[in-house]
Amino acid sequence: MAEGDLKSPSLADDLFFVMHDNATGRTRLHLRLASLGLAGAVLGELMLAERLTMDVASGQDRLYVTTRDATGDPVTQNVLDQVAAEPQHPVLTWLLFFARTVYADVATRMIAANLLKPATRNLLKQQRPVPVDPNVAAWPQARLNLAVQRREPPVTRDCVLYGLFVATGGAQRVLWEHDPAFVATTLAMLPAPLQRLIVQTEVAVGQAVISRR
Amino acid sequence: MSLTEQRSSAVSAALAKDRLGVPSVVFFVISAAAPLMVVAGSVPTAYAVTGVLGVPFAFLLLGAVFALFAVGYVTMARHVVNAGAFYAYAAQGLGRTQGVATAWVALLAYNALQLGLYGIIGSAAEPLLLDWFGGSPAWWVIALLAWALTGLLGLLRVDVNGKILSVLLVSEIAVVLVFDIGDLLNAAPGGIDFEGFTPGSLFVPGVGAALATVVAGFAGIESSVVFAEESKDRDRTVPIATYLGITIIAVLYAISAWAQTVPTGPDGIVKAAAQQGPTLVFNQAATHLGSTVSTIGSVLFVTSSIACMIAFHNTTARYIFALGRENVLPSVFGRTSARTAAPVAGSVLQTTLGLIVITVYAVSGLDPVTKLFFTFGAFGGLGLLTLLTITSIAVIVYFSRNPSGETAWRTRVAPALAILALCVIIGMTLINFDTVLGVAPGSAIRWILPGIFIVAIVFGLVWGRVLKATRPEVYANIGLGAQAVGGGSK
Repeated sequence: MAEGDLKSPSLADDLFFVMHDNATGRTRLHLRLASLGLAGAVLGELMLAERLTMDVASGQDRLYVTTRDATGDPVTQNVLDQVAAEPQHPVLTWLLFFARTVYADVATRMIAANLLKPATRNLLKQQRPVPVDPNVAAWPQARLNLAVQRREPPVTRDCVLYGLFVATGGAQRVLWEHDPAFVATTLAMLPAPLQRLIVQTEVAVGQAVISRR
Repeated sequence: MSLTEQRSSAVSAALAKDRLGVPSVVFFVISAAAPLMVVAGSVPTAYAVTGVLGVPFAFLLLGAVFALFAVGYVTMARHVVNAGAFYAYAAQGLGRTQGVATAWVALLAYNALQLGLYGIIGSAAEPLLLDWFGGSPAWWVIALLAWALTGLLGLLRVDVNGKILSVLLVSEIAVVLVFDIGDLLNAAPGGIDFEGFTPGSLFVPGVGAALATVVAGFAGIESSVVFAEESKDRDRTVPIATYLGITIIAVLYAISAWAQTVPTGPDGIVKAAAQQGPTLVFNQAATHLGSTVSTIGSVLFVTSSIACMIAFHNTTARYIFALGRENVLPSVFGRTSARTAAPVAGSVLQTTLGLIVITVYAVSGLDPVTKLFFTFGAFGGLGLLTLLTITSIAVIVYFSRNPSGETAWRTRVAPALAILALCVIIGMTLINFDTVLGVAPGSAIRWILPGIFIVAIVFGLVWGRVLKATRPEVYANIGLGAQAVGGGSK
């Protein structure tokens, strides 16, 4: 997991981009599902950066902090601190917990990194953040489309991106093709903790669909 | 959610803030039971079709049976991570193959209850349209409008908003009580008669038919345990809400069913109900309380029916979704609409079935109230009784295999008594199924309809076996719902 340093645009930033229209910034996913996906992506960033890992052997899918070095970014630092403080929760609980706030957190981080323009205050316009550069915003989606089209699993980080995007139900809607067999091949290439992260995100999404609220 | 979570945790506390307390769960549960729809729709139809005067007593009796059933049911909810309630419990208690069979019965029963509602909406809206515009289209035009609305809202995943629901529900209950008072103040010349509350008035020929209808009035109450995961206190919220919901429904329905007989006297109710159908209570209210109160009631009758339709539509669609996620149904049913977070394939299937049923009834000219609403309601009620029985058996078996420190009353005695009572009720319903359907006692259809459940069970058992032999990985996840994709880790 060499590509795992927390650079910008990060995994969560890329997921944010693929979940929104690259020109208008309009969301393609229900907020609840998008938030669960982003929560998975922030945890994924920390796992790729080897700050977090998951104990998959116990069957409980618990998260553990491996290194408490500063991440240099308030969003991931906050997540890391929370997990360090209460290691007893399974990853599903963490996904639900971080999903409450992660959407706004990631958007704020992307505005600070000059990836998004802040939401305008104009009364006539929808108040949503818009990508600064539509080409930058379109790039992650293009990478996934190419990978699916060529049936070549991308680099590890994009495998996680793809897995999370499929788990939220967004990939089936946005990408050119949907091939369940290719999804399975791609996910099989990931280390077990990242696979479990994606699976648990899919569980959380399923529960959100079944829930009556 | 892990049971080992510490109560003092900041994470748990933050998540608990969004969870439901007793009042919210009670509101959800009772609104699915749609009080005004039962009082104005089911009760007069029950009087008219069965001729049984003991409907009020039947509500109390079934309330008691439901409460007895609930003892084991809510105990199970504390121990089994819940996905689809009935079939999840059957899968855990009796085995996964039996779980699949239970799932089919549940799908049939809920579909029937949902589809039957298209038969009542026409008569709910008709008096209002006549009053306001002087004319009303055929029942199926109104049903199709309601169908389109339900289908659209289902796809957009618009659950009727909790606040709107509570306002509607409280107004409904208030209107029902005001109607009751109006009835009581205008007793028939013979005086107030309590015959409806005597067991003798219920246990007459036709009792089974009356019971089947009354059961449908309780449908929705079993959804309380679905909120276990989302409730503030898993061990207390759900049991309290369940018992409270059953009590409120049983008492409210019993009093209202009895109040309807007061102005006509016990001798006149069957005739009045047969002549006026679902307009009976509103006509009574108009005479006793004036047309304004009656109109408010009629409007709430329409909104109540639509809210109930949406609730059942979404319940069924989610059920189908959970089964799709488990791959018990084709996995296309486990697909999510990413835009709206709706269980899209299940919703479309429901909507398609609705169109077919409305079309068939409209073309063949069958009476929507007695032949669609009542027949489907009774058929769904029969399925619900079957589900309750299977679930009670599952509770006993589960706790005999997994000793848990729960009392024998909760894990054995109450479920056993519930099974006994439910089997008697199912037996009586089957004996009177000709009355329910309004056919000759020798007619084949009276055996064909209950037979559909037998076919569903057999088909489910076979399908469960096939899955076990050919797709063990799918078989292993039966009963886990959304958890199925995660292999059921907690």
